[in-house]
Amino acid sequence: MIMEKITIPIGPQHPLLKEPLSLRISVSGERVLGGELRLGYVHRGIEKLAVSRNYTQNVHLIERICGICSHVHTTAFCTAVERLLNLEVPARAHYIRALLCELERIHSHLLWAGILSKHIGLDTIFMHTWHDRELVLDIMEELSGGRVSHAVNKIGGVRIDLDIGHAELIKKNISKLHDEVEKLLEIIMHDSTIKARTQGVAIITPEEVKQYGIVGPIARASGVAVDFRSDDPLPPYDRLNFKIITQPEGDAWARTVVRIQEVHESMKLCEQILKVIPDGPVEVRARRSVPTGRVIVRAEAPRGELFYYLRSDGTNQPARLKIRTPSLPVLEILTKKLSEIQVADIPVVLAGVDLCIACADR
Amino acid sequence: MNELTIDKIISDINSLTKGACQLVEYINDELVIEIPSSQLCKTIEFLVQGHESIHLSTITIDIDNSAPDYIHALYHFWENISCSLLVKLDTKNPELDSIISLIPGADFYEREAAEMYGIRFANRESTPALLLPDDYKGAPPMLIKKEK
Repeated sequence: MIMEKITIPIGPQHPLLKEPLSLRISVSGERVLGGELRLGYVHRGIEKLAVSRNYTQNVHLIERICGICSHVHTTAFCTAVERLLNLEVPARAHYIRALLCELERIHSHLLWAGILSKHIGLDTIFMHTWHDRELVLDIMEELSGGRVSHAVNKIGGVRIDLDIGHAELIKKNISKLHDEVEKLLEIIMHDSTIKARTQGVAIITPEEVKQYGIVGPIARASGVAVDFRSDDPLPPYDRLNFKIITQPEGDAWARTVVRIQEVHESMKLCEQILKVIPDGPVEVRARRSVPTGRVIVRAEAPRGELFYYLRSDGTNQPARLKIRTPSLPVLEILTKKLSEIQVADIPVVLAGVDLCIACADR
Repeated sequence: MNELTIDKIISDINSLTKGACQLVEYINDELVIEIPSSQLCKTIEFLVQGHESIHLSTITIDIDNSAPDYIHALYHFWENISCSLLVKLDTKNPELDSIISLIPGADFYEREAAEMYGIRFANRESTPALLLPDDYKGAPPMLIKKEK
């Protein structure tokens, strides 16, 4: 029987979506024929706003690009400014930045694992992962006073220092999390429902990774070992040991396995940082006016390569700030992946790539 | 496949563009090579076909107020090193060749450049709005001068 083609609008506000995004999906019966998407519903014009604010104000503006990876955004921005200032940031500050980056990665990956689980009907896993994520949020709240926006970074270093109490809390919570993540990985590797819903769904090939400039865990789940913590490391990643996790399959299951294994690696990195963090100051004084010049900084956000281009004209305000977040290339391939699948797989495809619309829209 | 090295990329692009390319500067460790806009597609095709794991990070459009006659378009690539191709466009006629046939992932970057800076892209059907509303009628937002 030939089924009529129907277009279903999803969003910009829809229970399926956690952030505003407009999708128009064409279906014929239970088969999805294709999709179109429209961005811009949380576009705040941050690149334009940045050139009318001074560098200190911009640290707070940049922090608000994303509610999940706010710290890595300010890390990239502050690093860019510090490079133009030729500023020697204390080593201890670099380690504290990296610690927060890894905690943010754990929190982002667990949050995503919960959302994916909910979309495939496994509410128990959703509850567990979000419960486990609280352990990390508790650490971040204790360290910075904020669970989402941490305001840890400043130009020239960080505004917090670690004490023995912080270190004890991190060790205690990470130790609890190790056991929970081990169980979660066991379920993902062997649960027949998860495998049935994710294996073979929305396969991204290494060739597509290159064509679309896909980065982060999605590229690594397609067997492409790109990770800017090792490819172009910001300090102190050049002095830390960690494994780049890859899977060859390229499907939603591989993306799940990569992210959960990365949670493990990030926890080990947190423990390593606590062991090797040097004593000393956590900030140096920075001049307000930044010398003329331009700089590029790449950092590994939870979703992959975060790109910052900054040009200074010698004043206390940037002349140009360009931000490319890792969600943008993923959104480009998403519509391609929304074809020749079943309607029931739409949530898995959408959730499986870990979109951040706030980051993409800026 | 060849690994990207600074010397090799400069010599390769130099021979490809028959000496029309120019090493502009290093942005910290990042290599910036200026090429004529007519050589853009050819150079990018060479980079993409000759290097298995190269990817386009983004396209940055930048206008330096000290040289307002030109709009700078920077194509940022990454393999094992960072390499940016710089193309200078005439402010009065900012037009570039589209590269989406070579790199499909450049679609969003070109659309953003078109709506935010008014760059026109040849060899593609259209550049639909990416971030701005469909009924936006004003000037490209990044070209609007600061309010006093």
